[in-house]
Amino acid sequence: MMDFRLSSEQQEHVEKAREFTREWISPNAARHDRSGEFPLEICREAFKHGLMNPHVPKEYGGRAERVLDHCLVMEEMCTGCSGIATAIDGNGLSQYPIILAGTHEQKRRFLAPMTEQLMFSAYAVTEPEAGSDVSRVKTTAAKVGNDYVLNGVKWWITNGSVASWYFVLARTGESLTGFIVPADSPGIVRGPKEHNLGQHASNTVRVTLEDVKVPEAYRLGAEGDGFNIAMETFNHTRPGVAAGANGITKAALNISLSYAKRRRTFDKKLISNQGISFKIAEMMTKLDAARYLTYKAAWLFDQGEDNAREAAQAKWFAADVAMSAALDCAQILGGYGYTQEMPAEKLIRDAKIYQIYEGASEIQKMIIVAKMLRLKEVH
Amino acid sequence: MIDDIRRIAARATDRFTRRFWGPTFRCPVCHFLIAAVDADGNALLVCPVCGVVIEIESVYGHIVPVVHDVEVFRPQPKARLHPLATHLPIGLFPFALLGAAVLSVASLVGGLGVALGARAPVLADATLVLLVLAVAGAVPTLASGLWDWNRRYRRRPYRQITFKIAGSIVFLVVGAAAIVLQASGAVFSGATGLLQLGSPLGAFAAVLYLGALAGGMLIVAVLGHVGGTLVFGR
Repeated sequence: MMDFRLSSEQQEHVEKAREFTREWISPNAARHDRSGEFPLEICREAFKHGLMNPHVPKEYGGRAERVLDHCLVMEEMCTGCSGIATAIDGNGLSQYPIILAGTHEQKRRFLAPMTEQLMFSAYAVTEPEAGSDVSRVKTTAAKVGNDYVLNGVKWWITNGSVASWYFVLARTGESLTGFIVPADSPGIVRGPKEHNLGQHASNTVRVTLEDVKVPEAYRLGAEGDGFNIAMETFNHTRPGVAAGANGITKAALNISLSYAKRRRTFDKKLISNQGISFKIAEMMTKLDAARYLTYKAAWLFDQGEDNAREAAQAKWFAADVAMSAALDCAQILGGYGYTQEMPAEKLIRDAKIYQIYEGASEIQKMIIVAKMLRLKEVH
Repeated sequence: MIDDIRRIAARATDRFTRRFWGPTFRCPVCHFLIAAVDADGNALLVCPVCGVVIEIESVYGHIVPVVHDVEVFRPQPKARLHPLATHLPIGLFPFALLGAAVLSVASLVGGLGVALGARAPVLADATLVLLVLAVAGAVPTLASGLWDWNRRYRRRPYRQITFKIAGSIVFLVVGAAAIVLQASGAVFSGATGLLQLGSPLGAFAAVLYLGALAGGMLIVAVLGHVGGTLVFGR
């Protein structure tokens, strides 16, 4: 039997996130988009409301939230502003490698404090020469006594300026190894905030590591485990990213619907024109399709099953749907959709990154095909 | 430095509007900041700057304005009395404050007081004249502003205008208090023209007087800025 309804607990989660979005995220979205200021005050409120660090295991003070539940929350928050939601949720990407491969001591030392007070962490994998192709990472980790000495440049690091520690992927010989690097380690240099096309509230910086000493105790797993840890992490986080894209689609849909039902043209409401109403029908249908892909990818992860293909499908499809929905929203709003005073243009700028980060859409398709190559036939 | 001042001012304005006006949005035509509560029972409002008729709806906390019409033939401000009269308090009050500041510094720094000598009482008198003219000028400013509000803005309760009316009344009260304090001789000595800091009462009067001038200056500056946005939009 299949049940598409949310449980009462999930419905409660959604209501809570929606209320928070209406009160804190949406009203501040335009301001943070214009100023580029990191939404610390909103993160503080999100922390108080229990909307941060949802995946931390219960024994370390967290809630061990299921990925599906987290997706529901992310969709709501990104309907308000995906930049602010990324700032709130950015910790998850760097926490998961520790949840996946960390020792008890590492979890106690780095995860537990994040549930007690507002703190940030960052996933530092991408480099100027290594984006989609993670295996090209050049940052080195040389073993010196009981320490590793890290040198390299990490690029487009979300929450990089505010993080208390980083998950860093570095090269140990031929293979890649993951490390937890406290942000106050001597030799860490944080660059200025990047001026990106969208998600201006999110903090994206360059982080340079110059002879940064990291104790062996902060290495995640064995030497050479880093690549698998980094990739496994994406299976966990990609449904959440897809949910964020769904939030943008939902915002575009709501704005379009609200506008088209009220704006009059040729002596009738805008929505009375099929050219407009069909766009809205398509948006709604694509949103549902993207949601079901997202929920399935998340549900598979929660069941402990391999969700790599489904997560890639969800992330790619939801990102494309968000982009097209944002463009359609601007088209429905006409000239107003092209101005900065209406939310449509921000949605276009924000949606674009979903086709790029945490694996570009092309990479997602490569993952899907790679998984399909193992199949004899598709049922 | 200037960017920092702008950022601080923007943050203060933002906190004020969020606290007292609630959700706001920008007019999609002239970019004027409008409080959502300015809309009537039908969620309609007229932008005070460009005159477009806007219907608003809140979707997920995003305010989505839809332009339905434009008020084309709006009455112009009567003989532009309000913008003209505004220049009296805005132009004169800072110089009254400057005079009081110079005299205050001269009262605290002995050498400067000596250097001013017989010019100090003259400066005190000039400060009082400027103060009286500035505060008196606020009366026709307020009256002509109310007249414009009645004609051009049809008494619609825009947050900016109600804020300006309240601020003008506070300015009149604060300015009148400063005039009374100075004219009564409680602040500056008639003989030396300097602050009478010898007695606790004199020091208290000086603090009240300077506080009133500083407060008045802040009010005048903010009201001038808000008035400017009502004319020019963003």
